[in-house]
Amino acid sequence: MRLAPYLAYFKKSFLNRSAYRFDHLMGILSTCLRMFIFWEIYKALYGGRQQVDGITMSMVTTNFILSMGMEAAFYVDDFFMPHRINNGSIATELLRPMSFKGRMIAENMGNAAFHLCFRFGPAFVIACFLMGIQLPASPKMFVMFLVSGILGYGVLWTISFAVQMLAFWLVNVWSVVTIKNVFINVLSGTMIPLWFMPDWMEGVLHVTPFSSIYFTPVQIYLGQLTIGEIALKCGVQMFWIVVLYLVGDVLWRRGQKKLVVQGG
Amino acid sequence: MSLIEVNNVCKAYRINKRGKGIPGMMANLVAPKYEKKQAVKDVSFQIEKGDMVGFIGPNGAGKSTTIKMLSGILYPDQGEIVVNGFVPYKQRKEYVGSIGVVFGQKSQLQWDLPVIDSFELLKAIYRIPQEKYTKNLDRFVQMLDMGSFLQQPVRQLSLGQRMRADIVAALLHSPEIVFFDEPTIGVDVVGKETIRSFIKELNEQDNVTMLFTTHDMQDIEKVCDKLIVIDKGEKIYDGSLLGIRERYGTTRQLDVEFVDMPIVSPIANVEVVDLDVLDGRKKRFVFENQKVQINDLMNHLLQNYHIRDISISEPEIESIIRKIYNGEVMTR
Repeated sequence: MRLAPYLAYFKKSFLNRSAYRFDHLMGILSTCLRMFIFWEIYKALYGGRQQVDGITMSMVTTNFILSMGMEAAFYVDDFFMPHRINNGSIATELLRPMSFKGRMIAENMGNAAFHLCFRFGPAFVIACFLMGIQLPASPKMFVMFLVSGILGYGVLWTISFAVQMLAFWLVNVWSVVTIKNVFINVLSGTMIPLWFMPDWMEGVLHVTPFSSIYFTPVQIYLGQLTIGEIALKCGVQMFWIVVLYLVGDVLWRRGQKKLVVQGG
Repeated sequence: MSLIEVNNVCKAYRINKRGKGIPGMMANLVAPKYEKKQAVKDVSFQIEKGDMVGFIGPNGAGKSTTIKMLSGILYPDQGEIVVNGFVPYKQRKEYVGSIGVVFGQKSQLQWDLPVIDSFELLKAIYRIPQEKYTKNLDRFVQMLDMGSFLQQPVRQLSLGQRMRADIVAALLHSPEIVFFDEPTIGVDVVGKETIRSFIKELNEQDNVTMLFTTHDMQDIEKVCDKLIVIDKGEKIYDGSLLGIRERYGTTRQLDVEFVDMPIVSPIANVEVVDLDVLDGRKKRFVFENQKVQINDLMNHLLQNYHIRDISISEPEIESIIRKIYNGEVMTR
């Protein structure tokens, strides 16, 4: 596969993002606000105690900064494909001598790179300064955290990919996407760290794709997992990436045959 | 084997029929009703290399659907298409690099970026060598007079400017085959003329094969030498532009200016129309050229009346096409 066209799309979406400066300032602000609000809530819940169920306040803070930071950086456009089906511009997309899926990945990565530099970056610095973050357990764990973080993005992206392909049949996938996002918000540990979930639920969550998006990298960062556990969890991440991608790919192949180009 | 071969192609859509208002919505929610609409019915045609073909038909005739099947976007339900040795819908990725498509209603430019950035992106996508890119770009920009707005974001262009930019975008990689789907829609008279002469020049100089849909008959008359007409998904004419005149344009009209106010007695098979000019001294005689000999009519008029001026005209393509769409002429 030739990479040049995909790199071009990567660059384009990166540049596109910077077209609206106010939007991106507000993006930094909203990320900081979210972290800050959840931090305050949990501070109140802790009520000055050092730890709850063996989880210290500083672990919770670190979880918020990392997982919400990643959330800000892990850009996925859930409506990339539905939007193009809905207004018919899928037609011009298919005229390009390149893979549509590859393009979709390239554009999302371009956006993600922008968010990583200009949203996660500033918000992370501000948050660390305001709330304080724990240092990674060890340099080795930090590297593993980065690897697992990238895999986490892969899981997030393939979930969205599979859901978006439903647009071939449903055209309007807003409701499905919203349900998917509720699941991710609640079950991935960004709002409620999974330590506080009932044990049976935590057990269930560890085999779903949701916990492997943000929570696995955070656990690795904090040094809560042994090398064996890390290998297992990264294996779970890779498993979900492959399965969800294949589901999306089957839908894509079927959908293309029954594509209807809307509007003229 | 022709460059473009279309054999017995069919395509149907499923359309959701929904009653009006809230009751209709509720009924649709419980038991949706679908209707099958045959957009393209058993259409076949061939196009040779270097041809400039007008592809016309009333709204909803199936033109765009056919163009989309030709460009590999839609799968036909039946039949087969071979373009330049490729089956478009099966070999999409390899195929689309050799064609260019302009959808007048859909822009392929990047909305937020300056026009030139979209072109640079296309250069990367199609792997256009720098030299060819600069040559094509300079040539097109000059021919279409685009120098003034290359640096402007697409969202701030006028429709005519955007259309010209879209046409260039489809041609930067020097495709051998170009499909135009209404490239002059919503463009003013001057803009249309620029686009037409550009398209014509490209066809003549670079021998680019083109298929062209439009609702503006002047586009067809000025640009195309062949014509395919479809209606309700079926092909009803395929041949030269002159041929359609010979076949369906059998009406002739004679405009006569009299010296005085004549009282014209009826003539068999000729319709006389008063033109409201020159105090009614000008009249139009309309007839079918198989039924009335033009010599006989002229002689009759010259012998019986004082005539100052006389002129004869063939019908415009537009009026012929209108008659075909209205079903006023037999097409089979």
